[in-house]
Amino acid sequence: MWWRSASFILDRQQEQNTSYPPNPESLLLSSPPPSMADSLQNPKPDISAYYQTRAAHHAVVTSDWLSQAQAAVSLQTNDDVSSGSDGRVAPTGGGTGGDNKTFSVIDEFNSWRKQPDLAEAVAAIRALAAVIRASQATTMMELEIELKKASDSLKAWDATSISLTAGCDLFMRYVTRTSALEYEDFNSARYRLIERAEKFGEISYKARRIIAMLSQDFIFDGCTILVHGFSRVVLEVLKTAAENKKHFRVFCTEGRPDRTGLRLSNELAKLDVPVKLLIDSAVAYTMDEVDMVLVGADGVVESGGIINMMGTYQIALVSHSMNKPVYVAAESYKFARLYPLDQKDMGPALRTIDFGVPIPSKVEVEKSARDYTPPQYLTLLFTDLGVLTPSVVSDELIQLYL
Amino acid sequence: MQYDDKSRVEKAKKRAVVKQTEARNRVELFRHLPQYEHGTQLPDLETKFFELDPMHPAVYKVGLQYLSGDIRGGNARCIAMFQAFKEAIKDYSTPPEKTLIRDLTARISSYVSFLIECRPLSISMGNAIKFLKNRIAKLPLALSESEAKSTLMLDIDRFINEKIILSEKVIVKHAVTKIRDGDVLLTYGASSVVEMILLHAHELGKHFHVVVVDSRPKLEGQLLLRRLVRKGLSCTYTHVNAVSCIMQDVTRVFLGASSVLSNGTVYSRVGTACVAMVAHAFHVPVLVCCEAYKFHERVQLDSICFNELGNPDAISKVQGRKEINYLDGLVNQENLQLLNLIYDATPSDYVSMIITDYGMIPPTSVPVIVREYRRDHLWS
Repeated sequence: MWWRSASFILDRQQEQNTSYPPNPESLLLSSPPPSMADSLQNPKPDISAYYQTRAAHHAVVTSDWLSQAQAAVSLQTNDDVSSGSDGRVAPTGGGTGGDNKTFSVIDEFNSWRKQPDLAEAVAAIRALAAVIRASQATTMMELEIELKKASDSLKAWDATSISLTAGCDLFMRYVTRTSALEYEDFNSARYRLIERAEKFGEISYKARRIIAMLSQDFIFDGCTILVHGFSRVVLEVLKTAAENKKHFRVFCTEGRPDRTGLRLSNELAKLDVPVKLLIDSAVAYTMDEVDMVLVGADGVVESGGIINMMGTYQIALVSHSMNKPVYVAAESYKFARLYPLDQKDMGPALRTIDFGVPIPSKVEVEKSARDYTPPQYLTLLFTDLGVLTPSVVSDELIQLYL
Repeated sequence: MQYDDKSRVEKAKKRAVVKQTEARNRVELFRHLPQYEHGTQLPDLETKFFELDPMHPAVYKVGLQYLSGDIRGGNARCIAMFQAFKEAIKDYSTPPEKTLIRDLTARISSYVSFLIECRPLSISMGNAIKFLKNRIAKLPLALSESEAKSTLMLDIDRFINEKIILSEKVIVKHAVTKIRDGDVLLTYGASSVVEMILLHAHELGKHFHVVVVDSRPKLEGQLLLRRLVRKGLSCTYTHVNAVSCIMQDVTRVFLGASSVLSNGTVYSRVGTACVAMVAHAFHVPVLVCCEAYKFHERVQLDSICFNELGNPDAISKVQGRKEINYLDGLVNQENLQLLNLIYDATPSDYVSMIITDYGMIPPTSVPVIVREYRRDHLWS
């Protein structure tokens, strides 16, 4: 390929020297904790906020905290809903939409996102549902326009998160795709929209349970599962299997630089599941003993492939060459209308990597946080729509979007 | 119709307008396809131009253009056929004691068999004719003749506009997102959609290099090359023999298609399968651009059971090079069979993505599109 030729490399070096004088300090800092009270503008547009949040979740939260947070969520949901509906619908008096500008979808989204158990897309869906509830619009068109604006601002806030974009798009389709709305007066139509939005939020929330139940048939007694990355869906699957008294053991990859493996092994040890930790390079070495690979997904693309944490593609290639099945556990709201042709065909999602020692400024670091696994290396996808083969993803997307 | 069935061939000959003479040395494996001597029918038909009563002159003209090879390419043939049919419908008047629907359908069928004799139908034309017959059959009986005719002409216009012209624009819009600065794009033959994609990407200011791969006997790539070079794109031209040498520098392959079948097989100009296979071996993504009206429910596993045979003289002679015409005088020998295939089938494993007006889909999703959208839009 000609962009590996000498002239190309020289050109690029020239470009880099003139426009990007590298800052040696930036390579030493580890990822700063994301500010929770984000304004409408994402403060660090070149570092993917999505991956920063996940890093923060992995680093800070322990499972006790997690269960407490879950309990708090169920209480808080009720509070939030009631306070939300009271506090925001109140100023409905004959005024124009001016005083309603205090309601910001980004704030709402961030408040939902704080809960570590809640997936980002579900948080977005709940935020959009709140937009409908708080909306001052008097016609269907106005409401749809407001919703579209809110959805666009959420998507623009973090352009690298695929499940966020996909979740917003799906929500818009699901909620506005009704023809029966034309026949009713505005208020009852709005009520119906809110109902559907809540239902969609519920389905997405319960998706993990459904996936966990569907995948139980694939985990047999005495099997060895290799897991990469920290996916809450995968954790749910393994938890359910442990509860069903299945005997299995788990190999976790270390998951540099997020150290996801350490988190996961912590959780699994609490469930009394035998866990073995591997460094990322030891995957091929141990692949003989492995019966199946189980990963989550950040996004499922139209070809049936997945976008997931860096390292998934490698593991899928190794398992494919050794004839081990690769299973992906992903909720259906992660299906996105993207179609990458190769690794570089996606939007970049960079995150800073801390090597623990200072790196000279001339040395480039591959900072991408995710990779694309093509569908021929995946065996099955466990989703809340059922257990699917990769080619069915496009079928579902066509039925939904066209 | 299978041409190795003697009785049916005899019957068809009696009804034929075009007098075809069978080729002298027929390839055994392809006996089920029509193989005729080329070059004899055109002068014969030209003299008969004013004698043929049931044939409308516009349809006759289009048939002659197909025969001589003036009109080529799935879209162009389909549009030309439809324009001719529009003229025919405009001049049509129902004979006494016959219904418009039945008579017009019979008339269109006779035009279609004439066109088949000139050159076998492409799959795009077949789908278009199905659409037209369906529309005629669905005409309400209460309509007057002039209203029925104008409805039909409007339907034809709408089909051409939506399914061909607009869908090309949508395909170009999707495909251009897959072209990045610094890409080396390879294309084979001359596909109208691929040409539009490359020109549009150039207009948008992207910097890329094009490799045009060509093959005898049609040398269609030269047409495309000429148009691209005129617009200022930087191009490389080579023949299909060299495709494995050039493929290492290529980043994307864009191919057109005559049709995409239900199992994801791409039915396209002969040589496309070679290019796609070599690209696959070098891990270069292959993007096939095809409008959705060309999709077909048929499944084809090889290039033999359904194909078209062209003029065998075209491969035995090289134009303008007298010193290498080694086959002069040998053409009529019994032990020499010349095979000039026009189409071939590329298996879906070698295709990375199909770009249609419904978006970018994997080859496994073609039957989904056929299932969901043919029923609603085309045949309703």
